[in-house]
Amino acid sequence: MWSTEPGSASRRFFLSAVFWLIVPVFMGLILSILLFVPSAQDLVPMAAKPYLNFGRLRPAHVNIAIFGWLSQAYVGGILHIVPRLTRTKLYSEKLAHINWWLWNLLILLAAITLPMGLTQGREYAEMIWPLDLLLIVNWVLLAINIWGTFLRREEPKVYVSLWNFMAATIVFLGVYAVGNKVWDPSGAYTGMNDNIINYFYVHNLFNSWFTTAGLGLALYLLPKLTDKPLYSHRLALWGLWSVWTGQHHQLYSPAPDWLEYLTIVFSILAAVPTTAFIWNFIKTMEGRWHRVGPDIMLRFLVTGAFFWALTCVQGVAQSFRTFSLFVHFTYWVVGHSHLAFVGDYSFWAFALTYLMLPQLLRRPMHSRALMEWHYWLTTVGLTIFMVTLWIAGLIQAQNWMSFSIPFIDTVRSLQTYLGVRFFGGALMVVGQVIFAYNVWRTAFVPTAQPVPVPVGAGGGGQ
Amino acid sequence: MKQTSVVYLTVGSLLALLFGIIVTIIIPAIQATGPTALAHKYTDQELRGREIYKREGCWYCHTQQVRAPEANKGMVHQKGDIGPESIEGDYYYQSPVFWGTERQGPDLTHVASRIDSREWHILHLKDPRALNPGTLMPSFAYLSDKELDDLAAYLLTLK
Repeated sequence: MWSTEPGSASRRFFLSAVFWLIVPVFMGLILSILLFVPSAQDLVPMAAKPYLNFGRLRPAHVNIAIFGWLSQAYVGGILHIVPRLTRTKLYSEKLAHINWWLWNLLILLAAITLPMGLTQGREYAEMIWPLDLLLIVNWVLLAINIWGTFLRREEPKVYVSLWNFMAATIVFLGVYAVGNKVWDPSGAYTGMNDNIINYFYVHNLFNSWFTTAGLGLALYLLPKLTDKPLYSHRLALWGLWSVWTGQHHQLYSPAPDWLEYLTIVFSILAAVPTTAFIWNFIKTMEGRWHRVGPDIMLRFLVTGAFFWALTCVQGVAQSFRTFSLFVHFTYWVVGHSHLAFVGDYSFWAFALTYLMLPQLLRRPMHSRALMEWHYWLTTVGLTIFMVTLWIAGLIQAQNWMSFSIPFIDTVRSLQTYLGVRFFGGALMVVGQVIFAYNVWRTAFVPTAQPVPVPVGAGGGGQ
Repeated sequence: MKQTSVVYLTVGSLLALLFGIIVTIIIPAIQATGPTALAHKYTDQELRGREIYKREGCWYCHTQQVRAPEANKGMVHQKGDIGPESIEGDYYYQSPVFWGTERQGPDLTHVASRIDSREWHILHLKDPRALNPGTLMPSFAYLSDKELDDLAAYLLTLK
């Protein structure tokens, strides 16, 4: 239970991440059915109706995906990488196990309380007060392990990923505490500022955690999977820029105009670290593009980087007032958030899982063919899902802006699109089930002979 | 590796966080204005209704913010009209606010100005598809009569 074997906590984080991936994807599938065929609600037994209603499943879908799947996969990767980059043991493997138990307790409680309607009623910040506190505890434990390992490092050179992980833990703690008002059980501020602070948190959940730590993970994977040093370490440091862009969710809203203009400036500035990362990525990939076909992990990483670039282009465009006025509140935004969440960060987490889980379990993945199915179903499903929602969002926006079409007609005209979106989503769900099956077989019902992988092999391509 | 780099990283991260907090939290809080005529002080029943609105996640599909370029197209009671622009003081008594992110259903900022019948709202909450064919809205018939009444009381405050 409290193993001190190096890597044992990281292994557990990866396995529980994959387990928690399956829960929100099925919730998402139910949500997409409820939008495509609203009368499907009549098939739900009366006793289960409250718990399977759209407004209660949506926060469960989002929170479990964010904190149950993706964050746990990140932590698994970080706990695996940090000792390698510092050439020392993890500060405390035992602490990491305590962290794992508390983390999964948090997600379990969230999965129970959110469908029960226990919510703070704020986007991404729905978890009730005791769970907010539990999350803070988890983050502090994670920070202690990362910083503790760093301060005991044997390797004098500090690879950029370490900076990213360390910055992410500090900044996100502050963002979460303030954004969720953790000193107040209601978790909400009053009046307009409640929404401003909510979106300060929402966007910086992405900036300070998923992007900052995610780029750290990608910058570790890239030299590793290409057997080539990073093109420029100095350029990579630009990715550390933390940009305060949350208020571009509120253009034309009652929020003060000066705040809107400021956030537009920052959103445009975000193009600088983005370009730096993409340039670094492309230059490092030079002479290695032929490996993208045969190497499935590299393919996940490269596809993720492509989607990430697209996210950033869309993100900057969406932060202009005119474009925001048009697409805000439409399905476009749902497409954008899945692009970021599934297309980039989850794709990197898949590459991470496929690289590290075999090292941690000391045996190869159960099936190479299933990995291919996972890649293609996810990529094709996600593309169908997003493109459909973008088109639907533009139609919706155009209809609204006519100011003469009754609202219900703008809803009715989109049913086909919601059907195609369901289809794309279903492909993604099948892909994730295949992924989970493959991981389960590898971990618990292995067929192959154990292949010893030397512990601590390779640095970060320094 | 110099220890100073760690100090730079820590200080830089904290400064970035501090800057974000000052700009997005402290300055808007100092500038906060008082309530407008549309700001509503809730009764106990309306507050209970508001809690149900929050619990059932109504705000995932309905926004409560009217942006300037879309405001006041036509008369308030006309079909398809969203009503006057929302301003800061309108939200004075609300915690949390339900600005929302998506309009899978119409904006509700001024819904009571369009439909002011308590009976209609309760019927609609119970069976939206019967009153509004083609709607995506689910049925809330599983709520008790008292809960539906509270929720309708809250909806009627959205003038």
